[in-house]
Amino acid sequence: MATLTAPPVKETRKFEEQEALITGSEAIAVACKLANVDVVTAYPIRPYDTVMNYISQLVADGELDCEFIVAEGEHSQFEIAKHASACGARVFCGSSGVGWMYAMEALTVTPALRIPMVALVGNRTLDDPGAFGVEHNDALSVRDLGWMLVWVDNAQEALDTALIAYRVAEDRRMFVPLAISCDGAFLTHSQSLVKVPAAEHVKKFLPRYDRGDLLLHPDNVISVAPQANEDWVMEIRRQNYEVTERACDVIREVYAEFERIFGRTYGNPFFEEYRTEDADVVLLGMGTLSTPVKVTIDKLRQQGKKVGFVRLRWFRPFAGKEIAKALERFQAIGVIERDLSLGSPDLSGVVATELRSAMYTHASTRPPVLDFLCGLGGREVTVEDVERITDLTFQAANGRPQPLTQWIGLRG
Amino acid sequence: MSTYVETEPTQNLEAFKGVKKVPYEEYFTSGHRTCEGCESAQFMRLLAKAAGPRTIVTGATGCMYVANTSYYSTPWGIPWMHTQLGAAGSSALGTAAALRALMRKGVFKKEPINVIAFCGDGGGADMGLAAISAALTQADYNLLIVLYDNESYANTGIQVSSTSPFGANSTFSTPGKLKRIMHNRWKKNVAGLMIAGHPTCNYVATVSTSYALQAMNAVRRALTIGGPTFIHCLNPCPKGWDFDPAAALELGNLAVNTGIWPLYEVEKGELKLYGKTREIAEGRFKRLPVADYLLKQGRFAHFTEEDLAYFQSQVDDMWNNWLVPGVIPLRKKAEAANPAAK
Amino acid sequence: MGQLFAVEVIGRGIFQDTLAKNITRGIVLAAHNEGKLGISFGRYGDSPERNGIPAKKFAIVATDEQTMQLGMAHYQPRQVDLSIVLDDTLCKGIESWAWDGVHAINEAVKRNGTLIVISTQGQDALLKVIHRRNEPYKLGILPGVASFSGLWVYKDDHTDVRILGAIAKALPELFGWDSVEKYILAKVKNGTVKAQSARKTYERLTTSEVPAGKGNPEPLPHFELLKWQDMRLGTSVKGQPQGGPIEDPVTHKLGGYKPVRNDKFMKYTTRSQRPVVNFETCTKCTLCWLNCPDGSFDVMPDGTYDADLNGCCGCGICEAVCPVKDCITMVTEAAFTENDSQWLRFKKNKDEYLGWLNTTIQKAEKERSHGLRYRGQYAEQVPKALEIAKNG
Repeated sequence: MATLTAPPVKETRKFEEQEALITGSEAIAVACKLANVDVVTAYPIRPYDTVMNYISQLVADGELDCEFIVAEGEHSQFEIAKHASACGARVFCGSSGVGWMYAMEALTVTPALRIPMVALVGNRTLDDPGAFGVEHNDALSVRDLGWMLVWVDNAQEALDTALIAYRVAEDRRMFVPLAISCDGAFLTHSQSLVKVPAAEHVKKFLPRYDRGDLLLHPDNVISVAPQANEDWVMEIRRQNYEVTERACDVIREVYAEFERIFGRTYGNPFFEEYRTEDADVVLLGMGTLSTPVKVTIDKLRQQGKKVGFVRLRWFRPFAGKEIAKALERFQAIGVIERDLSLGSPDLSGVVATELRSAMYTHASTRPPVLDFLCGLGGREVTVEDVERITDLTFQAANGRPQPLTQWIGLRG
Repeated sequence: MSTYVETEPTQNLEAFKGVKKVPYEEYFTSGHRTCEGCESAQFMRLLAKAAGPRTIVTGATGCMYVANTSYYSTPWGIPWMHTQLGAAGSSALGTAAALRALMRKGVFKKEPINVIAFCGDGGGADMGLAAISAALTQADYNLLIVLYDNESYANTGIQVSSTSPFGANSTFSTPGKLKRIMHNRWKKNVAGLMIAGHPTCNYVATVSTSYALQAMNAVRRALTIGGPTFIHCLNPCPKGWDFDPAAALELGNLAVNTGIWPLYEVEKGELKLYGKTREIAEGRFKRLPVADYLLKQGRFAHFTEEDLAYFQSQVDDMWNNWLVPGVIPLRKKAEAANPAAK
Repeated sequence: MGQLFAVEVIGRGIFQDTLAKNITRGIVLAAHNEGKLGISFGRYGDSPERNGIPAKKFAIVATDEQTMQLGMAHYQPRQVDLSIVLDDTLCKGIESWAWDGVHAINEAVKRNGTLIVISTQGQDALLKVIHRRNEPYKLGILPGVASFSGLWVYKDDHTDVRILGAIAKALPELFGWDSVEKYILAKVKNGTVKAQSARKTYERLTTSEVPAGKGNPEPLPHFELLKWQDMRLGTSVKGQPQGGPIEDPVTHKLGGYKPVRNDKFMKYTTRSQRPVVNFETCTKCTLCWLNCPDGSFDVMPDGTYDADLNGCCGCGICEAVCPVKDCITMVTEAAFTENDSQWLRFKKNKDEYLGWLNTTIQKAEKERSHGLRYRGQYAEQVPKALEIAKNG
């Protein structure tokens, strides 16, 4: 595990096109430094808060010039950041699990007032019952409120996505907050080799955050968020809805620009496809479960089983049409679900429910979409789990219907 | 020699030397949907006047948000932003932090801009207390948090808060057949709490809109002295307290003259009492009976002689037995209790 | 399809909140004595009410469940059979709490419906201010002073039951006298005495036809609500700009200060009394201007202060704080039919203005009905109100 001793910091000082051996959270801290953020607010909760350890060190060492405020709770933490952004500052903050929930009021109003923010959610099981390990319900809880949501699964992607996030969030056509979700384990435990972009390239990619006529400043006398009523709220919501209508296009634009400037491509921004070209069935999931899944797929492919994997990156906006078109050719789809949506249709989790909705509308076929609740509460998604999931998905593909929701890796 | 705390320069807002020196400009104009005689709105008007145009105000949910500002219009002539009920402290900090960073990086012209966040007693003494307290420890930032106290959650239709006086009627504390007094809590001493708990906070004051000049000058002092500061204002509320709006200033005077609401400021640890409060402390003015004040308000109409006597005894205790009357409730030992200041 | 009735009660927020509630509930319960169904409610947009700001409450009554559903299809009835106005100063127009301009007091009264106003004025005086409309309606006057209380202490001066008696007379299809009496005797404190007051009103209320086109011809301030594409982003609105100095009509010199005022909510329909200012005896102490919670005073070039009568809401603090006797006097709003600047009139013809002032301030109520001043006050005021009630 990376610590706060001098060596890691010294490594990241050499920025120009360097390679650094860093964890996911350090990668995001590096992105904040490259983005020259103005205000960072911190509050301790595991596992996201390691990013704040790094940022604090960067500030102390004079590597990052920003206001670094330790709040007295997550609600305040996110309110401080929100207001700083309203006054024109580029902000960064984050939380995990119930900390994120504690900030919920602040999280609700930030997109509604068109205030950009980039936040790191270190996905963590909600207390109670407590656990430090990964579940996705924390970040997913804001999916209806106007936040953009993206999942990453390696440190390079974390750094790149953070830079992309600022560009997307601060685009005048958007002006929304964006949460980058990272599973806890890889944030703190896995260090990988990351290409760190040069500062002058980042400057080209990220212009200064300009709030324009929405800036709160004595030179621009406005009142932001006077009390509205039923005569006005629908129209205000419609304005914010417009953001979601164009979000996918803006994201595509920004990824193309990223590729142009940094020479690194992600292909389709919204999801990654692994060995899907000739697959019969496909698995789908978000975050770091992709590692055991890919390992298992390679193993099963050697056995002649044609299975592939789609790793969803952007959950909001949900590129439903694209996903449906990509999946309609498969005989069955197995969603590996690291969240719960108690009481939902067919008791499935959030990802499967939304996916089925997209398929229903846009797919020209109706393959079974199975949901596998797995890896909840920080439990590992093992190779054995993935093998079982694949097997059940194949059964459905071969005419042996499966329950729509199943628990995998459960004792009992 | 480096210091541990670095504040930016503040505006040098000198005290208005008399009512005739108060500027004409209104930074909080008419046309807000407040009650007739709303002293909380009056406080908004005064603080905007006192602060002037180079100011940013954030306002927590409450009457001064919902009644004042109604989309698609506003009475504010300075930048204003709504914030959440418990977020006065955090919104002030966020605003101040942005200004500081952006000025340091040369994005904004360097100039002292006032940062004021307001909250009601619900948002300040209850929900947002932690955020205010945290802000008052952040000595690098110049900001002022004002708590306008109409002694209830007024915007939701009058419910008791931590600063509602003992026994007050409200929709959550109506006198009934079994219990006449549902709200048996004593008013929280918010200013005292801020003074005792935040040794690096340079300025805490209590004010009243019945003394407009002093209230404005307290705002100007707080904005000039630097660092995070706090002002608690008592605002008679015709709706919640149930009185003829024309009596608003009279009630503010009575609150002070009965000793219920002491007027003072603490600047870098030095206490200064004002007006009748000072006269009371120095024994030059005899406190009026609390009944003179309470029985002019419908919210105490159900009080019996016993209730009035209890209320009086608590106020007497505050003036007779507190080490610093009206400010800090550390009590002197019984035998050393001061009989003079009755 | 059965019969459907809608009644609205228009009163001053908070001051007449309990009174209006008592009336709408009484309507439903009285009608229920005849087997009808009903609901009573306040207008959601008016909540939370504020002192003085006009508010509406409703009672919807139907003969059967299905017709009741029809009546509830719109949250607020667009047309009412009967409109009760609890303070005649509301007749000038109502700018409600929910943001949508100034509306005529009789706006919702349906064709040949009835408007009942509590007033000491006569019909002619009222029709000078009540706005004209394209359809005829009936006007009834219930003699009396507007009954003001507050949230916690109620002025029990029989106004509520008198209104119920009036309704039984004006709209007997809704409910008749027997039903009202039954309700009062069974459910209202001091029912026997109260029933007598109600009976008086029932016997004596008269209504007269107001033909289409008769009334105040002045247009009302009106606002177009914007389309979403034309609204500013991020729930933001432009702040208020600064005002500037005023021109003296005689010397033509600039001086003083008039702030820019919110033109989307003026607040003048909140007031039931206005300050009449004597600019000659004014000592320019600043206190009225400084202590007005609405910032309604303009600073005049000569150093005196003039209340902007589009913005003043009639709280009376200025009169309370003015140190000069009779310099500011709160006078019932019923005595005026315009919002013109008093200072301009004073400047143009001092003697005429002062003459007018001296007669006008005689109309100031000595015992003002504007909220509680001390415990026991209402008990002292009720007998006088009942005297008026005895005369119907």
